[in-house]
Amino acid sequence: MRTTPVLTRLAWRYLWRNHRRTIIMLSAIVIGVWAMIFMTALTRGMVDQMIKDGISVLPGHVQAHNPLFLDDPSVSNRISIGDAELSRMFDPLSFKAWASRVKVPAVITSERESRGVTLLGIDPAAERAFSFVTYDDVEGRFLESAEDNAVVIGRKLANTLDTRIGKRVVLMSQDPDNEIADRGFRVAGLFEASMPAFEEMYVFVGKKTAQKMLRIGDATTEIVFVGDDYRDVEPTYDRVRETLDGDLKVSRWYEIDTYLGTMLKVMDGFVLIWVIVIFLALSFGLVNTLVMAVFERIREIGLMLALGMKPASILGQIIIESMMLLAVGLAIGDLLAWATIQPLKEGIDISAVAEGMEMMGASSVLYPKLYLYDMLLANVVVLILGFLASLSPAWRASRYEPVEAITKVG
Amino acid sequence: MAAVRCVDLCKTYRQGDQDIKALDHVSIEIAEGGFVCLSAPSGGGKTTLLNAIGGLDIPDSGEVWIAGRRIDQMSKGELADLRLSSIGFVFQAYNLIPVLTAQENIEFVMQIQGVPAAERRTKSLAILEEVGLAGLEGRRPAEMSGGQQQRVAVARAIVSRPALVLADEPTANLDSRTSDELMTLFTELNEHHNTTFVIATHDQRVMGYAKRLIRMLDGRIVDDIDQHAA
Amino acid sequence: MNIVLRLAWRNLWRHSKRTWLTIGAMVFSNTLLVFMISIQFGMYGLMIDNTLQVFSGHMQIQAPGYKDDQKMRQVVPHVVQLASNLRKELQTDTIAARGWAFALASSEERSYGIGVFGVEPVFEPRVSNIPGLIKEGRYLRDPDATEIVIGAVLARNLRVATGDELTLLGSGRDGSFSAAVVHVVGVFESGVVDIDRNFGEMPLETFQDVFYMDGAGHQVVVSAATLDEAELLQPKVVAALPGGTDLVVHDWDALQPGLRQAIQADMSSAFFMYGILVILVAFSVLNTQLMSVLERTHEFGIVMSLGLKAGRLGRLIMLETALMGIIGMIIGSITGAIFTSWFTVNGLSIPGMEEMAANFNLPARIYPEVTPWTAVAGPLVVFLFTLLASAYPALRLHRLHPVEAMRAN
Repeated sequence: MRTTPVLTRLAWRYLWRNHRRTIIMLSAIVIGVWAMIFMTALTRGMVDQMIKDGISVLPGHVQAHNPLFLDDPSVSNRISIGDAELSRMFDPLSFKAWASRVKVPAVITSERESRGVTLLGIDPAAERAFSFVTYDDVEGRFLESAEDNAVVIGRKLANTLDTRIGKRVVLMSQDPDNEIADRGFRVAGLFEASMPAFEEMYVFVGKKTAQKMLRIGDATTEIVFVGDDYRDVEPTYDRVRETLDGDLKVSRWYEIDTYLGTMLKVMDGFVLIWVIVIFLALSFGLVNTLVMAVFERIREIGLMLALGMKPASILGQIIIESMMLLAVGLAIGDLLAWATIQPLKEGIDISAVAEGMEMMGASSVLYPKLYLYDMLLANVVVLILGFLASLSPAWRASRYEPVEAITKVG
Repeated sequence: MAAVRCVDLCKTYRQGDQDIKALDHVSIEIAEGGFVCLSAPSGGGKTTLLNAIGGLDIPDSGEVWIAGRRIDQMSKGELADLRLSSIGFVFQAYNLIPVLTAQENIEFVMQIQGVPAAERRTKSLAILEEVGLAGLEGRRPAEMSGGQQQRVAVARAIVSRPALVLADEPTANLDSRTSDELMTLFTELNEHHNTTFVIATHDQRVMGYAKRLIRMLDGRIVDDIDQHAA
Repeated sequence: MNIVLRLAWRNLWRHSKRTWLTIGAMVFSNTLLVFMISIQFGMYGLMIDNTLQVFSGHMQIQAPGYKDDQKMRQVVPHVVQLASNLRKELQTDTIAARGWAFALASSEERSYGIGVFGVEPVFEPRVSNIPGLIKEGRYLRDPDATEIVIGAVLARNLRVATGDELTLLGSGRDGSFSAAVVHVVGVFESGVVDIDRNFGEMPLETFQDVFYMDGAGHQVVVSAATLDEAELLQPKVVAALPGGTDLVVHDWDALQPGLRQAIQADMSSAFFMYGILVILVAFSVLNTQLMSVLERTHEFGIVMSLGLKAGRLGRLIMLETALMGIIGMIIGSITGAIFTSWFTVNGLSIPGMEEMAANFNLPARIYPEVTPWTAVAGPLVVFLFTLLASAYPALRLHRLHPVEAMRAN
C-alpha cells in the first residue's frame, strides 16, 4: 500500500506524543514478556534436567526387552541374543550409542545390613556414553571392564550398609531355574548421583561377571539405544523395531517412565497457558491505551478523513501504532530475558528445596534453558493476540464521521 | 459548467427535543473562479452547507454537484477520493496534525495521493514560500503562531491545486492583521490560479474581500449580493 | 453521600470505558488469583494429608539416628508397652507401634528384597491407609499369626496370591540369620508404585520373634485428625515419653522432608506468577490514573486557584483509585469464587496429569474449595498495589502550578 510509509510515520510520532503513557505501557509489556520467557526458561530447564537425569538412568531413548520382562523383571525373561549377534545387528545402524546389559532386582548384604537394589551388569566401555555416573567422579574407581570382579555402589547405600571401599558385600539374585544365585564382591568405588535416590537404588558390576553369577551364558535383560534427540525418538524406535523384527518388546522412554512423559507434555501446555495468561493481563492495559490514544485525537482523525484519508488507513494507523508498541516491548523484553538468563546458565542452586525437587524428580541445581522456539512462541502469540485486541479500538476510530469528529469538543 | 451546484437541499438536526432546520430548501450555483462568502449568525446553516458541498455531510434531500458530478449519492470511498483530488479544506482550528511538521502536514495529502517523494518536497517547499512561510518547514504546529498555522493549512489545501477550496471560519482565532494577510493570500490564489473559494464566516472584514456574498438565516438564503458589480 | 466521595465517584465515570477496562484487568487477575490460590492450597493440604495418611503418620518416636540410617539395632525398646502407655496418657487411639526389617522374600518361583513391617493389627488401621486398601483377601488379624499382607506389584512380581506361602530371609537385631515362612493373607494396592512394589506388613509379635527383636520395635507412629492438631499434640507426646530414654520425636516435616520442600518450590514459582500478575494490574492502574490526572490539568488549575491544596487533590485521586479498586476486588472475588465453585462441584482434571498427580499422592480429579481466605487474599494484595500505583499521579499534582495548569486545554 502506498500509504504505509505515512501511516507508519504517523503511528510512530503519535506513540511518543504522550510519552509517559507509552513508557508506562511499554514497561508493563516488557515486564510481561520478560516474565513469560524467564519463567518458561526456568521450567524448561527443570524439565530438561529431569528428563536428562531420568533418561540417563533408564537409560537411553529406546529400550528393548523380552516381552515378559517389564511385568516380571526376572532373568527367566531374558534376551537370549548373544553380544556378537547384537553387534552384527546394531553396529551398522550408527546410533549415538547402544548397549546391552543385565538389569535385575537383587539384594545386597554387608556384614551388618541388607537392602534391595537393582543390579546393573554393564560393559563400562559401551555405557560410558549415557550413564548417569560420571566415571571420573567416582571415589575409588569405576568398573574397568565387563569382566571386572568388583562392585561400585552409591555413597548413600554404602553408608546404610556400613561398608566402604575395599570391604566385601554379597549380591544375591535368582538364576533362570529360580535358584538363589549369589556372589561376593569387593567394593571398588562409590558414586554420587544428582538424585540421592539413585545412590541407594543402583549397584554396578561387570556384565560378564553378572552373567556368570546368574548363570545365563551371554544373555542380557535389556538393550538400550540413544538417538539424536530425546524429543524425537521415532527414527531410533522405528529402526530398532525393524531390526529386531518382532522378537523383543521395543519401548520409547516415555512409555517406560510415564511420569516424565506426562511431565514433558504438561510443560508444553503450561508454557502456552502462561504466555496467554500474561498477555490477557496486559491486554486490558493495551486496549485502554489505544482507546485513550484514539479518544484524544478524534478531531485529528476527523481532519484526516476530511482531507480524504480512507477509513481503512485510519484503522491501519491505529493497528500499526499498537504493533509498534508491542514490537518495542517485545524487543526490550526479549533482550532483558536473555540478559537475565545468560548469567544463570551455570545453574541456580536450589538445594534448599533439594528433597522437594527430588520428589518432583528434579535435581537441586536448576539450569534455565532458553529455547529459541519458546521465545518465538511468546513473541508470535503476543503479536497475534495484540493484533486482535487492537482491532476493536482501531475499528471504532475508523468509523467516525468526519464532521462529528472534527466538531467534537474535548 | 458550475464549480458548485446545490439543488433544493434540506437537512434537519435534532438537538435535545427540538428539530433544527439547518438547510431549508437551499439552491445555489457557484461559477468556476468564484470567491464566495457564506455569512450567517451561529446556527444559521453555513457550516452545514459547506460540509454538504465538501461531501463531509449528506443532506436529507436535494442534490449536490461538484464540477458536473453528483456527489450526494457517492460512497464514502468515492467521497474521500473526490476530496483528495479536487477539494481543499481550511478549518477554524485543529487544522493541522500535531505530530507532523509544517512540511509534513503539507505533504500529507500528496502522500496519500501517491505523489513521488521528490515532487512532494519541491511542491511543499514552493507552496510554503508562496504562503510566506519559507524557512519554517521543520516546525511542528505547537511551535507556530495561530496565523502561521492557518497559512500552513491553506498551503496544504491548495498544494495539489484543487479547483475548489472550502474554508470554515478561517479567521476565527486570528487577530485583524493576520486575518487581512490570510484574506489577501486567498484573493491572490483566486486570481492567479482561478481557484474557486467558498468561505463560511461571520467576520465583516472577511466579507469585504468576497466577490459574492450569500447571507443565510435559519437554513434559508436570505440575500445573494454580487459585490463585484457593486 | 459525602461530597468528596460523590465527586470521586462521578469523576470515575467520565471515561466509563477506560474505568471498566481498568477494572477488567483487576477482575481478570483477581479471578485467576482466587482460582489458583484455592487450587494450590487445597492441593497442598491433600498432598500432606494423603502422604502422611498412607503410612508415615504425623509424627514418629524413634531411636536417635534411625531416621537416616534405618539400622536394625537402632531400636525403641518395649515398643508395644510404650505405644499402649501413650494411648492411655494422651487419650487417643491413633498411635501404633512398628518394627521394620529388610528381608529376601521368596515364593516358589521368585525372590525379591523387600521391607517388612511388623505392625499392631488392631491399631495400624488408625494410623495408616494401607489396611483399608486391601483389594484381595483380608488385613492382618491376630497379633501372633504367621501371616503377611503385600503390595499388588510385589504379589505380581513374586507370582503369589492370597493363600500362598512366602519365605522370608533376613538378619535379626543382633545380626544373626533369621528366617520364617508366612502366609499371604491379603494384597493391597495404594497406587504408589514404590509402596506397592517392595513392602509387606506382618503382625508385630511375629515380627519380633522372627527378627529376634526382644520386645523392641523401630517406631511408634502418632497420627492426628489435622495438621494443626498434630502440632498441638507434639509437645504432649514429647512430655509423655518415659524419663531417661534418648528417644526422639520426629514431626511430619522431618519424616517427609521432600513434602515441605516440594510445596516450597511450588509456592515460590506460584508466587512469582502471582507477583507478575499483580504488577501488571498495577501498571494498568498507574496508566489510567496518570491519564486521568493529565487530562484534568486545566480543571485542577481552576480548583487550585480557588485555594484547594495539591494534597487534597492527591487524596481525591487516591480515593478514585480506591473506589475503582474496591469494585475490582468485589467483582473479582465473586467471579473467582463462582468460577472456582464450579470446579468444586464438577472437579478439575487436566488430561494426562494423572501420572503427575499420583506422584504427589493426589487424586486425578481435584475439587478446589473456596475459603474466605483464598477468595480475599489475592484481591486484597491487588487492591493494595493498585493504591500504591496511584501514588505517582497523586504526587505529581504537587508540581502543578495553578496558572500554567489553567492555560492547558
